[in-house]
Amino acid sequence: MPPDTGGYMVAGYVVTTVILLVYVGSLWRRARRV
Amino acid sequence: MTEPLDPALGRARALTRRGLGISAVALLAFAAACGLALGFTPVEARQGLAQKIFYLHVPAAWCALLAFSLVGIASALYLWLHDRRLDLFAEASAEVGVMFSVVMLTTGPIWAKPIWGTWWTWDARLTLTLFLFFLFVGYLALRAAVHDPDERARFSAVLGIMGLVLVPFIHLSVYLFRTLHPQPVVLKPSAPSLPWEMLRTLLVSVAAFTLLYVGLVTARYGLALAQRARESGDAA
Amino acid sequence: MAEALRLALVIAAKDLRAELRSRTALVSATVFAALVLVIFYFSRDPTAVSAIVLAPSVLWVTFAFAAIVALNRAFTVEREHGAIDGLLLAPVPRGALFLGKYLANLAFVGAVQAVTLPLFVIFFNVDLGPALPGIVGTAALASVGFVAVGTVFSAMAVRTRFAELMLPVLLLPFMVWPVRWAVEITARLLDGRPLSEMLGWLRLLALYDVVFLTLCIMVFGAVVDE
Repeated sequence: MPPDTGGYMVAGYVVTTVILLVYVGSLWRRARRV
Repeated sequence: MTEPLDPALGRARALTRRGLGISAVALLAFAAACGLALGFTPVEARQGLAQKIFYLHVPAAWCALLAFSLVGIASALYLWLHDRRLDLFAEASAEVGVMFSVVMLTTGPIWAKPIWGTWWTWDARLTLTLFLFFLFVGYLALRAAVHDPDERARFSAVLGIMGLVLVPFIHLSVYLFRTLHPQPVVLKPSAPSLPWEMLRTLLVSVAAFTLLYVGLVTARYGLALAQRARESGDAA
Repeated sequence: MAEALRLALVIAAKDLRAELRSRTALVSATVFAALVLVIFYFSRDPTAVSAIVLAPSVLWVTFAFAAIVALNRAFTVEREHGAIDGLLLAPVPRGALFLGKYLANLAFVGAVQAVTLPLFVIFFNVDLGPALPGIVGTAALASVGFVAVGTVFSAMAVRTRFAELMLPVLLLPFMVWPVRWAVEITARLLDGRPLSEMLGWLRLLALYDVVFLTLCIMVFGAVVDE
């Protein structure tokens, strides 16, 4: 039975998604201002 | 006040839009890769679900290293050819690279904690990640601190080249340290031979991340070109 | 080639003479190093670990910080006196200009280290013994590399707004590595280990020196030229 490390997995995926979306969003906002 | 039509600005905007379009597609690919990793890939026996961070961490590492190498290469080319577009490309790659470094620096510890029991370890990958981050940040800080565009381009290029030359030394140093102090190989996060399903998922994720790098750098480069077109438009 | 070297030595000599006349920077850097040693001394737990075990790290962190202070002042002085503009107008090859600045900085950093080492021995009551020549050699070998990188970066930093902050931010990622290797060598020297155990680190230091000294000579022109 593998150890219960699901919480870390969720944290990792959430953090990654947030970072990516925030950056794409910032590029998009800057593109609109140009 | 109506803005006179500037073809350079128009081209820059188009490039930015294309980059954002590619990024949107890449984000969909990223979502698909996540779905693949979470739902259709076997769970690793010794590490449990946390091992799945591997499918994000490794592609991010690849992209950060790619971004950094391109900053270095563009820097060298700029000092040789003096084409300002190389400088703007380096700026774009550095910004995107720092973002991927942040992904690495957050997923690394989140993954390390359940596996090794510690948030941080000075192993090869995390050490290099940290230094790439420092170098990226230094690069962007230097660019922010220099006002004259020509001076900024020259200084950034020098830093870019020196940073690229430093990376092999980091590798050599970590390797030398490791051969003298063998780490306990109790739970190695990346096994040398992956089962097919895991390898497949990893490759899909790498493809998605690479596409995202291409899209983001294109968009950011377009923004840099647009800003330059604006500046020279104002000066004219 | 010989002409370039001669020019470099002339530039270095001019720099150092200006430094000796004022002496403030040398004294400040030395006092700074002494104070760093004092902080280390007071912040350690004497019951936990002996001074000689800490010695390599304390010594090298002190050397590193003192070097940054030394490099900062090198170009700041020049900016205030506008000396470099005169040099740039003269047909001085940029490689020679770099070597001149570099040699002056190296001499300066070496002087600060030469004072710091005895202070360390005194404050921490550590017997360096037969390791002394090796430590001096290691200090020289490591300094050759990071002073080269520091000379380039301080030339850049001095033209930015937050010069004193910019230099450490740029330089430290490059300085960490020679310092790390120097600490490994120093620790083994103090332990009386055979040379074979230090060869790997020594080779890395030598390689770093050769590669970065060459690179810095090549890129310095891009920093000072318009």
